[in-house]
Amino acid sequence: MKQRLIIVLGSIFALPFAYMVLLSVAKEWFFPALWPGEITDFHWKQLDGTMFWAIGLSVGIAFFIGVISTLAGFLSAYFLARHPWRRWCLVLAYLPYAFSPVIYAHCIKYFFLVSDLAGQVSGVILAQFILCYPFAFLLFYRHFDDDLNAMEDLSATLGAGQRAAFLRVILPISKEALLLCFAQTFLISWFEYGLSSVIGLGQVRTLTVMAYQYIGASNQYLAAVTACLICFPPLLLLWLNQRFVFRSATVQPENN
Amino acid sequence: MSLLSVKELHKAFSGKTILESISFDLEAHQTLAILGRSGCGKTTLLKMIAGLLEGTGEIQLAGKFVHPLPPQQRGIVYLYQEALLFPHLNVFENIAFGLRLRKMQEAELREKVENMLENLGLTDQIRKMPSQLSGGQKQRVAFGRAFIIEPRLLLLDEPFGNLDVETRSNMQDFFKNMAQKQQTTAILVTHDLKEAVRMGDQLGYMEAGQLHIYNHLNDFIADPRTGMQDEIAFWQSI
Repeated sequence: MKQRLIIVLGSIFALPFAYMVLLSVAKEWFFPALWPGEITDFHWKQLDGTMFWAIGLSVGIAFFIGVISTLAGFLSAYFLARHPWRRWCLVLAYLPYAFSPVIYAHCIKYFFLVSDLAGQVSGVILAQFILCYPFAFLLFYRHFDDDLNAMEDLSATLGAGQRAAFLRVILPISKEALLLCFAQTFLISWFEYGLSSVIGLGQVRTLTVMAYQYIGASNQYLAAVTACLICFPPLLLLWLNQRFVFRSATVQPENN
Repeated sequence: MSLLSVKELHKAFSGKTILESISFDLEAHQTLAILGRSGCGKTTLLKMIAGLLEGTGEIQLAGKFVHPLPPQQRGIVYLYQEALLFPHLNVFENIAFGLRLRKMQEAELREKVENMLENLGLTDQIRKMPSQLSGGQKQRVAFGRAFIIEPRLLLLDEPFGNLDVETRSNMQDFFKNMAQKQQTTAILVTHDLKEAVRMGDQLGYMEAGQLHIYNHLNDFIADPRTGMQDEIAFWQSI
């Protein structure tokens, strides 16, 4: 019974992915056919410079957003850990999530237009950072709890200055949280469509923007190819997380 | 001559006085046990001496004013109720932490840590991570990490509070032995009457931000605030 349930649930999750892959290799597939008539790599061969540029751009933006959001969130949470206004910062960090990203994008679009950042890669990066930075801060807010503050104080009385305490205690303890935050913010940026589309004015063609443009142009096969490409990095990150982050719960720095 | 001299320590949070003009002296190689209820200002007093909290007043250690110095330059180690071992370091590295900060030669460091592990009775736990240790073992490592750097003053903030009765008693014995062996000067704060009497060479009672130091155990017993008379009466009534 349990095994059957797992198979049914697994199938429900796997079906959309299987359909997407099949659609990307189908020469023609129309309703009510249950199976594509002919399997072909035709649509995959249509990957041209524009698509490769979109892949590179999406990877670049997501990587950059992952790195700067994680660093900014981590450092902000660290320096605000003992600040009396810490709770107000928490409230502020929730604000970007009070709206849906598309509505939020329309709210801030004016500022991007007047600052000439709309339609630019730098504008899309800034818009995504505004979304990802508070997320990273929220994630690290709880990480810097009383125990971690006490550990930093204790290391100070053992002789560690602020820099040494940060490098020898705070940073190694935070390694997993940092990797997790990078993976999360990378994925937020990678799958982000609303902000990228509105602030990028359709000119900054990330993979998600392209997928929607193909759907809009009724080119379901190329949309499926793009969707397959969109799924690849998250799967890779998931595997890397499983392999290197969650398995290594602790680190033994020296072989004693 | 006293090792520690505290004069007119004062601390207030949001207009509320936590410490009120606290002054006392502590001889070298002595343990001052301060008894007090929760919220009386014990932790604040220790944190100010350690340099972890700011306030007004003077703190002199071995004839030198230390109150303007940051915690890492005072030679005072503050131990919490929790062991707070660094979770990313094994037992050896946790104990060696302070020595590595002092850039001690590897051979000397290894010898000192191994000696300390022997004193702690933890030679077979050297490679274990903190998560693999019991509560008592964690506390031993925490003490070892503090003792190994030979602090001029050790501050203990209810360090046995989280331990069961038997482990607590063992750890109290262990601390007394280590303190005697290393000739450590310490201040221990606790709300446990028995612990205060057992651990302290000198006794103090703290209430509402004010500290009273007793010259003799009899004075401590005679003061009804300490609860010592009630405790004696209770045991005599059984």
